[in-house]
Amino acid sequence: MNDQAPVIDVRDVVKTFDKGLTRALDGVTLSIDKGEFVSITGPSGCGKSTLLHAIAALEKPDSGEIYINGEEITSKRDLSRYRARTIGLVFQLHNLLPNLSASENVQVPMYEISISPRERRKRADELLGLVSLQGKEKKRPTQLSGGERQRVAVARALSNGPPIILADEPTGNLDSKASLQVIELLKNIQREQGVTLVLVTHNASIAEAADRAVHMLDGRIESKAED
Amino acid sequence: MLWPLLRCQKARKYLKGTSVSFVLFILSNLMRQKIRTGLTVLGISIGITAVVALGIFVHSAKVATEGLIQAGGSDFIIGRDGSADLTLSTVTEDEIAAVSAYEEVEYVTGALIAIFGVGSSPFFLQFGIEPEALDFFEVEILEGTRLSPGATDEMLLGNSSSVGADLGDTIEIRDLEFTVVGIYDTGASMLDGGAILPLAAVQEYERKPNIVTIAFVRTRPGTDIESLKARIEDDYPNLAAAATLDEVGDIDQGTQILDAVELGISAIAIFIGGIAVMNTMVMAVFERTREFGILRALGWRTRRIIQMVIGESLLLCLIAAAAGSLLAIGLTQLVILFPAVSSFIEIEYTLNVFLRGLIVGVSVGLLGAIYPAYRAARLSPAQAIRYE
Ligand SMILES: Nc1ncnc2c1ncn2[C@@H]1O[C@H](COP(=O)(O)OP(=O)(O)OP(=O)(O)O)[C@@H](O)[C@H]1O
Ligand SMILES: [Mg+2]
Repeated sequence: MNDQAPVIDVRDVVKTFDKGLTRALDGVTLSIDKGEFVSITGPSGCGKSTLLHAIAALEKPDSGEIYINGEEITSKRDLSRYRARTIGLVFQLHNLLPNLSASENVQVPMYEISISPRERRKRADELLGLVSLQGKEKKRPTQLSGGERQRVAVARALSNGPPIILADEPTGNLDSKASLQVIELLKNIQREQGVTLVLVTHNASIAEAADRAVHMLDGRIESKAED
Repeated sequence: MLWPLLRCQKARKYLKGTSVSFVLFILSNLMRQKIRTGLTVLGISIGITAVVALGIFVHSAKVATEGLIQAGGSDFIIGRDGSADLTLSTVTEDEIAAVSAYEEVEYVTGALIAIFGVGSSPFFLQFGIEPEALDFFEVEILEGTRLSPGATDEMLLGNSSSVGADLGDTIEIRDLEFTVVGIYDTGASMLDGGAILPLAAVQEYERKPNIVTIAFVRTRPGTDIESLKARIEDDYPNLAAAATLDEVGDIDQGTQILDAVELGISAIAIFIGGIAVMNTMVMAVFERTREFGILRALGWRTRRIIQMVIGESLLLCLIAAAAGSLLAIGLTQLVILFPAVSSFIEIEYTLNVFLRGLIVGVSVGLLGAIYPAYRAARLSPAQAIRYE
């Protein structure tokens, strides 16, 4: 594993807002290996979400490069394809589309890859099974508990089989039992499917459970905890 | 109509990935704001109702006028060029004589048309013709007798006239009294809703001696009707010859005005409807900003986002077009209950007017979607995800 090139290689990325007044990322360098589980912690406003958004190609850095599997993405043209196939995203809040069922939510990213509607439904139901939500395929988000909703979001992140999962405080508003379930689920997927997992969290014990815990402060990576 | 569009490569590429579930997704987005969607549909459907109902009336009125032109055995009619309305056309007896002098003309007869309230009928059509011309106009006497030659106080009543008189009754028109001697049917709705009177009598009470409204011309077999019409118009620049409804526009500028009104109302409906839809769709895009961000973050292309916004807008307007068309049918059925209308026209529904409603609906949908789709496409995904 050590000999391999990193899956995610962030090099000296700077991202500012408000015409340079806010330096959300102030020269971040971070490389993550294939199959690694990295947690990111840090005070509110230190740039954790901005870093994930930059990796997911939702936000374009002012300077610096981001290599994914050796390919530079900040100058890539077809970002939709990259987002749809390479990255699986899980957010903290308002994650699901409220007018779609659990199964339909899981199918949303599959619209961008050419598979038949039948195949799409089949795969969505399998993924819901994987996150232990069989029988709830037709439920709307409002008919699901907070923990169940986040598991639907995890299933959706997996829908196109991405090698990387980025989770931005996916357990932020869950109680500890539901949080644990979601984290266990993500860890299992990381372990069993060899997926690279980057998890932003405020919870110290969750952060400790990662292969590597990264701490951020004021747009920089502060220290790297050894494991 | 959509089929050639779907076959076009570019369109197919653009619609790639659309499926039943995508359409259902679009529909469910509309259903999230039932009241807003309902009110928008209502607003647009009223515009479409106006367009379709007016189209139905104009078409029906044209069919009625056409029935009059083609009354009996005439090949074309002659009227005064540039008349504001068919009933305001004047042709003199000298001009009729001149037309009958053409070698190809087999028969010419004039008719003086008057329309005003008589008895309980507010717009009573009086068709003054020579009694001998009854056969030419293929007037079928259902009851009673024909007009007797030379009579000036007799009249025939159409079988769908609403004047409220019967065989043997007398009807007062202006200061003169006429006895109903027969009931007739011609198959032309305009004629059957009125009365046929001796030409001389109508000329007298209308104070139009030696004048008719239009002349009906029958040509000899084998005549080149087009060139004859052209020759007559060349020789007598004041006259216009019309064989079809389109040509009647020269004698009856009213039909041209109606066409312009139709176009104007369609344009207004598109403009106002477009603004209403734009308003609704802009609100929908703004309040769903975060969702658009999530869709983009999950890999949806801007193209699909645009498809979704345009799809919602189009679906909204298609529902409105359907509702508007149904309303228009209801409205025309209601209006035709009035004798004043039904004595003139028979309502006729053609695919064309509904197609026009559909075109207005689609235009409204596309026009109203441009700006919201542009806004949705321009959203930065990261910004949209942070949006609360
Ligand atoms: N679109 C934006 N416009 C202006 N400022 C922004 C924008 N996005 C982020 N910022 C600023 O960048 C900084 C980093 O924000 P970011 O959301 O990455 O922090 P975070 O570490 O995720 O915080 P939290 O733990 O509260 O989620 C903050 O100061 C924030 O105000
Ligand atoms: Mg954050």
